[in-house]
Amino acid sequence: MRLLYQILWKDHSRAHLLWAFLGTLAGFVLLLAGIQFYIDIKSVLSENRDLLDPEYIVINKNVNIAQTLGLSTGGFSEEEIEEIAQQPFADQVSPFLSNEFPVSGYTENERFPDFYTELFFEAIPDEFIDVKSEEWLWDPEVGKIPVIIPQDYLNLYNFGFAPSQGLPQIPKGVLSMIKFKLRLQGKGWYDDYDGQIVGFSNRIHSILVPLDFLKWANDKYGYFDKSNPSQLIVVSKDPTDPSIIRFLEEKSYDTIREKLKSSRMNIILKLIISFLVVVAAIIIGLAFLVFLLSLQLMISRSSEKIRRLNKLGFHFREISRPYILLLLVLMTAVTGFSLIITSLLAGKFHNMAQEWSLNTSTSLHGIIFGVSVGLIALISLANVAAILISTKKLCK
Amino acid sequence: MIFRFEQMIPLPLLEQDTAGSEVWEADSLLLEQGKSYVIEAPSGRGKTSLLSVMYGIRTDYQGDVFLDGRNIKSFTMREWSALRKKRLSIIFQGLELFDDLSTLENIQLKNNITGHVSNERIGELAHALGMEPYLHRLAGILSFGQQQRVAIIRALVQPFDFLLADECFSHMDKENTLKAYQLIQHECEMRKAGLVLTSLNETELPDIDVKLNL
Repeated sequence: MRLLYQILWKDHSRAHLLWAFLGTLAGFVLLLAGIQFYIDIKSVLSENRDLLDPEYIVINKNVNIAQTLGLSTGGFSEEEIEEIAQQPFADQVSPFLSNEFPVSGYTENERFPDFYTELFFEAIPDEFIDVKSEEWLWDPEVGKIPVIIPQDYLNLYNFGFAPSQGLPQIPKGVLSMIKFKLRLQGKGWYDDYDGQIVGFSNRIHSILVPLDFLKWANDKYGYFDKSNPSQLIVVSKDPTDPSIIRFLEEKSYDTIREKLKSSRMNIILKLIISFLVVVAAIIIGLAFLVFLLSLQLMISRSSEKIRRLNKLGFHFREISRPYILLLLVLMTAVTGFSLIITSLLAGKFHNMAQEWSLNTSTSLHGIIFGVSVGLIALISLANVAAILISTKKLCK
Repeated sequence: MIFRFEQMIPLPLLEQDTAGSEVWEADSLLLEQGKSYVIEAPSGRGKTSLLSVMYGIRTDYQGDVFLDGRNIKSFTMREWSALRKKRLSIIFQGLELFDDLSTLENIQLKNNITGHVSNERIGELAHALGMEPYLHRLAGILSFGQQQRVAIIRALVQPFDFLLADECFSHMDKENTLKAYQLIQHECEMRKAGLVLTSLNETELPDIDVKLNL
């Protein structure tokens, strides 16, 4: 059937087919490279955080003017806490317990200037706290209250307040040794307890006391109205999950954004990749059209010959074969070339990433092959159908 | 293979005066394998239309045509294609050669479908019609009479039960016409095939079983 091919291929437009080929190739490379790099970057992102160390996210509601004026109470209702707990990114959720009575602290020490301040306490379950200390215990018999303060507070004092006021800087160990009193006030009465700073938290920006103690103290001294917890701590095993940021923004909850950097990066990455995929899809779509039109043009240029061949006894399927073969050759070439180019790009990307000591894959991910073959099959099928339809139209 | 026509007339001929036609005015007409038919008429009386209907490339007619008892309107494209490969051969009035293929290639194109004859046989057929020197010339540069002979050879390189020949001698001299006719006759006899030949009636052809006036 060499003659059949010779007759029908004579009418092809080399320029059309070449542009269609290049266009499809460009679209494919863009798409495949996009997917490849997306998978790479995603794995880099998740590699870079310690899998054993989930992220602790403290969230609070944005303060609004109504709360300032006392018209509404802030804090999370039970339903809201439940809703957060149900989010896929939230593995554990715990509200902060606050003191429901006035607290103040003061020093009675000859070596330090007298110091008095009103205070607040918050408490969360121990497993959320990054400080482990043997002294983190509450025993009503002993009556000593262990306190954890944020590392930032100490830094503020040591590197901000103390130098400007001519006060001595205090190392952590010394601060832990300072004895101070804590005064818990009930309605019309009070008790003094010994307080001791037992650690400094990098995770939680609050003055923490053991949960047992605060529950006990609220029972004993508390007389404020019970209010909803104003802060929650959420443990997320996957802080790169972009749904965290989306959820928080939708609910207009607030948190320390720094901790959700990878979540945000993930969103940006997804945006870039989606843009890339859309562009690739448009290019592939256009290239597909050019392919379709070039083949249709070829067929219509050959319509006289096709009619003649049909009169000689050729079935339209036999007449379609040279077009289908041409299509499949070009499509196979597109697949082959796009895989080669994408793997070359992956190699280049790997080298670049290594300079930043990131580890990306040098070989193509399995899904790349699946996507390219699947898409080529789809485009080919559509074209084959178009070829068969238009040759059939010419035949009797 | 038997063609049976039941008051079949191509639609364009309905407006024409077909009085006296032994085909268009016949209630029923049989064309049988093994017999040779000549259909004579001046131009425009529907000779080509008749052959086109029999070959399945025209469907704009009234009445019915049966091939071995089956209405040909029920044939699928696949069936027509198979018929044209194995049972029906045709020499088109317009020849339908590929100008940019050589004489030999034009013949091979058809022969390749069924592989019915060898290349030597093609050579013999070409020799019989004096076309051997032109086998490797492009068909497009041959004279129309030579092209007719190419079309005749092409029609003979396949198996058939009926050969339809549409004014296939119109541009040949008497000597070549007789040569070609003898070759066709011989090939039909070998296959026990029927022959339907249309003609403007310039040359008297021998051994015709049935003459029909259109």
